[in-house]
Amino acid sequence: MKHHLKDKEFIQRLTNDDQRALYQLYDKYSGALFGVILRMCRNQELAEDLLQETFIKIWQKIDAYDDTKGSFYTWAYRIAKNITLNSLRKPDLLIQTDDLSVYKDKEETSVEVDFSELNGAVRKLEPHHQEAIALVYFRGLTHREAYEEMGVPLGTFKSYIRQALLLLRESYGQELTIIVLLIEIFG
Amino acid sequence: MMDKKKILEEGLLEKYLLDELTAEESNLVETFLKNDFELKRQFEALETDFERMAFENAIAPPKTVKSKLQKKLGRGTKPWFRQSAFLVAASLAIIFLLSTFALLLQQREAIQNLRTLQNQTVDLQERLNVLENNYVLTNNQLQSINGPQTIPLVLYGNKLAPNSRAVAYVDHKKKMVMVNPQGLPKLPEDKTYQMWGDVDGEMINMGLLKPDEDLVSLKYIDRASSLNITIEPAGGNDHPTVEQLMAYVSF
Repeated sequence: MKHHLKDKEFIQRLTNDDQRALYQLYDKYSGALFGVILRMCRNQELAEDLLQETFIKIWQKIDAYDDTKGSFYTWAYRIAKNITLNSLRKPDLLIQTDDLSVYKDKEETSVEVDFSELNGAVRKLEPHHQEAIALVYFRGLTHREAYEEMGVPLGTFKSYIRQALLLLRESYGQELTIIVLLIEIFG
Repeated sequence: MMDKKKILEEGLLEKYLLDELTAEESNLVETFLKNDFELKRQFEALETDFERMAFENAIAPPKTVKSKLQKKLGRGTKPWFRQSAFLVAASLAIIFLLSTFALLLQQREAIQNLRTLQNQTVDLQERLNVLENNYVLTNNQLQSINGPQTIPLVLYGNKLAPNSRAVAYVDHKKKMVMVNPQGLPKLPEDKTYQMWGDVDGEMINMGLLKPDEDLVSLKYIDRASSLNITIEPAGGNDHPTVEQLMAYVSF
């Protein structure tokens, strides 16, 4: 949790209106948040605007963040998700999201990937587990919307999520154990 | 009824993390998290896993986003609500400071006024005392020269001081002599008027006369047959300078 200690310092400075702290948090979390926003709205240009909006909101609302209620990333994720879902509810932007052919430069075209494709531990899960996680976390669907999307009963969907989370826990836990072992052996 | 088991079974921790709960449900979960260490630990593990998954699936945004953000926020720009809160606080502080300063000035002015008034009162009191003393003195003098036994005598100036005069009031019963010397001409600083009583041809000193005084009380001389005024060196003389006799009157 060393990086969370660092977060505490950044947030402390941010509440004192230190803009550099905001850019340090941006450097750390913008990739993770952009991954979420882009998968949710599936529009590069819009995602960039929404990422910017997310950090402006973080800057404005940092006083409302309470670290006893959760990590900074969880709080920032919720902001990004709400901003993105709100923008997708606006009809004019919905039309834009369907138009994926307007990428201009190479950097932007490089993300013309399948947004549903995931990396890391989640990719090792069974396809139905992967899909369940992707729908609620990366697409921003509620459990209710997601089980309909998957076409399975709600109870089944809930157990998919629970199993997927347990497998992720196991996967990350194993990695952690290996790291701890390596530290003990070589440290 | 919500309990820990239900929270876990219903997947409320995930839903809370994903911001899917109503405000009421969120508050409930937050209360449980605050009081149940085990539940809190599970939630933290869930947060860590989700965060880790997000990092594994991170997509680097173009650098232009950060520069746009920096441009948009500008240097030192604060959210309006914090700025206004600061402005309100600053304004209140300034108003407080100014009113304190104004009060201080008023207080100093009031103290100054009070001091002036006190000084004026003391001054008036002193003047009143002087006036009262003067009145008593004048009244006494008036009574002395208006007494039924008092004899007023006029001493006319001779050729040494023509058209000059002094008035003497003599009360033989009270053995009192008072002289009004204001009719005498002014003398140089090294000279003075001196009055003498003539007793059997011998001039006896009665005292000095200053023409700027209203009424001078002099020594009464028994059996004096006349009153005489001479001009003498300042401070007076033991014996009269006869050639300087400028006025006299006989009883």
